[in-house]
Amino acid sequence: MGTTKIGRIRGDRLLLLTGIACFAASAATSSDGPSRWWAPGEGRSFPAYLSYANDSGELGLLNDGGAFETKGHPFFEPLGRNGRACVSCHQPADGMALSLKSIHERWEATDGRDPIFAVIDGANCPNLPQGDPASHSLLLKRGLFRIFLPWPPKARDGTPIKPEFDIEVVRDPGGCNLDPSYGLNSANPTISVYRRPRVVANMQYVLHRNFGIGAFVGKTGEPALRDPENGQPVNMNMMADAREPTVKTQAVEAAITHLQFDGKLSPEQLQRIKDFEYQIYSAQVKLDGAGSLVESDGPPGMGPYNLARGEKGVLGNNITKWVIPVGDAWQVKKPGESDDEFAKRQSILRGQKIFHFRTFWIKDSMYLNNVGLGNPVKRTCATCHGMHMTGMDTANGWMDLGTTNLPWAKEAPRNPWQTEDELMPLFKITCHKDVQPHPYLGRVIYTQDPGRALISGKCNDVGAIVMQQFRGLAAHAPYFSNGSAANIRELIDFYDRRYNIQYSEQEKTDLGNFLTSL
Amino acid sequence: MRLLPVSAAVLASASFAAQAAEPGPLPFVACPIVQDTPTVPCWIVERDGETYYLGIQSDVSAPFNPPSLGHKVLVEGGVDRSAPRICGGLVIDPVTVSIMPEASPECDDLRMVNPHISLPFEPPRPPGPSMGRLAFTYPDPPAAPQPPFETKSFTVPYEFEGMVGFKTPRFLNPVLLYAQQTNARRVEIRGYRGATKLADGTLLAEHEGIARARAEEIAAMLLGAGIDQATYVVSADESPALGGPDNRRVEIRIVP
Repeated sequence: MGTTKIGRIRGDRLLLLTGIACFAASAATSSDGPSRWWAPGEGRSFPAYLSYANDSGELGLLNDGGAFETKGHPFFEPLGRNGRACVSCHQPADGMALSLKSIHERWEATDGRDPIFAVIDGANCPNLPQGDPASHSLLLKRGLFRIFLPWPPKARDGTPIKPEFDIEVVRDPGGCNLDPSYGLNSANPTISVYRRPRVVANMQYVLHRNFGIGAFVGKTGEPALRDPENGQPVNMNMMADAREPTVKTQAVEAAITHLQFDGKLSPEQLQRIKDFEYQIYSAQVKLDGAGSLVESDGPPGMGPYNLARGEKGVLGNNITKWVIPVGDAWQVKKPGESDDEFAKRQSILRGQKIFHFRTFWIKDSMYLNNVGLGNPVKRTCATCHGMHMTGMDTANGWMDLGTTNLPWAKEAPRNPWQTEDELMPLFKITCHKDVQPHPYLGRVIYTQDPGRALISGKCNDVGAIVMQQFRGLAAHAPYFSNGSAANIRELIDFYDRRYNIQYSEQEKTDLGNFLTSL
Repeated sequence: MRLLPVSAAVLASASFAAQAAEPGPLPFVACPIVQDTPTVPCWIVERDGETYYLGIQSDVSAPFNPPSLGHKVLVEGGVDRSAPRICGGLVIDPVTVSIMPEASPECDDLRMVNPHISLPFEPPRPPGPSMGRLAFTYPDPPAAPQPPFETKSFTVPYEFEGMVGFKTPRFLNPVLLYAQQTNARRVEIRGYRGATKLADGTLLAEHEGIARARAEEIAAMLLGAGIDQATYVVSADESPALGGPDNRRVEIRIVP
């Protein structure tokens, strides 16, 4: 295998890693041994670069701030009562998210006692016994953690928001939404929805203050959340429902809700968490069949080093930047490149073209079709997934594609022969008569997760979910906020059905190879 | 070939000139139709056996806000009979399109590419990646005001039955900027309710209460955006003003 140029780190240390050296450099954290899992509080050295094998190849993580010891670092220490740390659900091997595969491995390794299974949100409801697989069915089958939110919603200053709709619990397989202590009719009315942990890497893209960020949200016109430290508007692109404005405020909330931390994070702890999250970049560096994705003459959009030096927060749905630029790489077969390797790389290039150029009719998608493009609009994947290098929206990226709203959300078929019940809760939303109906779903909407509407109380926001970045996908299946796509093929198939794209098998293969290479 | 519409500035003037358009088939309510072309689709409507061209798909910077299948549209403006047909339709220029809130599932006409129909101009934004710029440029922000500061008035326009939406920030950002630059002491906001007499004689009025709702929503937006030291005076005129799109508005006065 030839030399793989990973790139320049902090200006003065050029990493030239062969495939073997790359593996050796990451050996301390990349094997299938126990060190693949970063346990809270174990105290390790976090190197400047590390990599992990996954089912599709290898993921690379660039720690652009340089190596450090995790002992005492608030991202890695168990701060609360349940023994979790931030790293529990944001594992390096999983691209700083958490794969279903890792969840299963932890279940097997600990007999369901790992802190990630803490009943506060690692069970379907806290009233269920920890360690019984039935208590954790949403986590074990879909990789979903419980997110519990007050109803009616409250503004950030604590004042109640008058919702534009009524909400009823139609189906509650987890048992929490109808529970007298934890549910909608409890003393503290609460709605539980179930969502995947998000990638905590490449955050300078996720949290940029560049194109499209202003005092008002570009899609709805509402005032944007502001950073409490400086009063500046933020892009609201970090969480599925955009409820927290910054990494620091999110850390405060997560420490309370996910870690069951009773104290208060100090300014120094919050700054260390922020610094770490802003300096870690994650992307696939090797794809089975295609070899290295990060050779010196490889595509400029691949790998964590290119992410670190890329332009943050700019549109990529154009022929000057591209969402994922590939440059002139892989156009012709190189000496020493096998036929199979060349063919796989050609497939990735075709997938990149499909992503940017293959048009289809995008219809009835809230916050895409109602923001000046028309309904339907003849566009491409890159229309919504337009941010250079990540495939996110550049600003305020909540949309309703139908991943959680019926009729498009994945639901177990109901018939006399069906033996498996649907896992997800189902809510009935009835929009009040004094507000306009949802333009595409009307006044009555059925949804597994109302998404942004649980924060805003707005009818139009039902099922609107902030889209996620496309990096390191191979490391953290399943996909979508509710884990409804078990793999990248199912993700592509969802879009194919949703928008009647009529992809050919070859197009699906090429698009899948492209997405897996990110 | 003149591209319609041409700029955000034109949209503003077009909207407020709509009442002066020649008498004719407008305004009317109809189902919008998508007519695909080899590049971007056209939006057209059919009325009394005639086809009218509304505009094309471009991007979020476009002053023309394309309709939505599944909803009727209120079409206001005037027919430009001097302009050659586009996508088979008589050109409505200026044009104001309001998407009617209630669903109309019968409005579901998506017409595939017809070899006899193509755009007579290059669209400013293809259906795929752009050339690296938005289809339409926004006007530069005005120069920072110098003291002594003057009271300044602004207008926020609305679609029929419309509230704050994705276009509102374009009109509200200058208000916010001026209020910040002049450290506004007082913000006066007055909402209005419009009504339109259709060509067939039907009177279409916005619902009562929308003027106040609009005014209060704008006040909340300015407050939420940080103008929280000024005194707000919020009022509304709920009498339905008969006329064109310019009656559907909120007026804002920033008093330094």
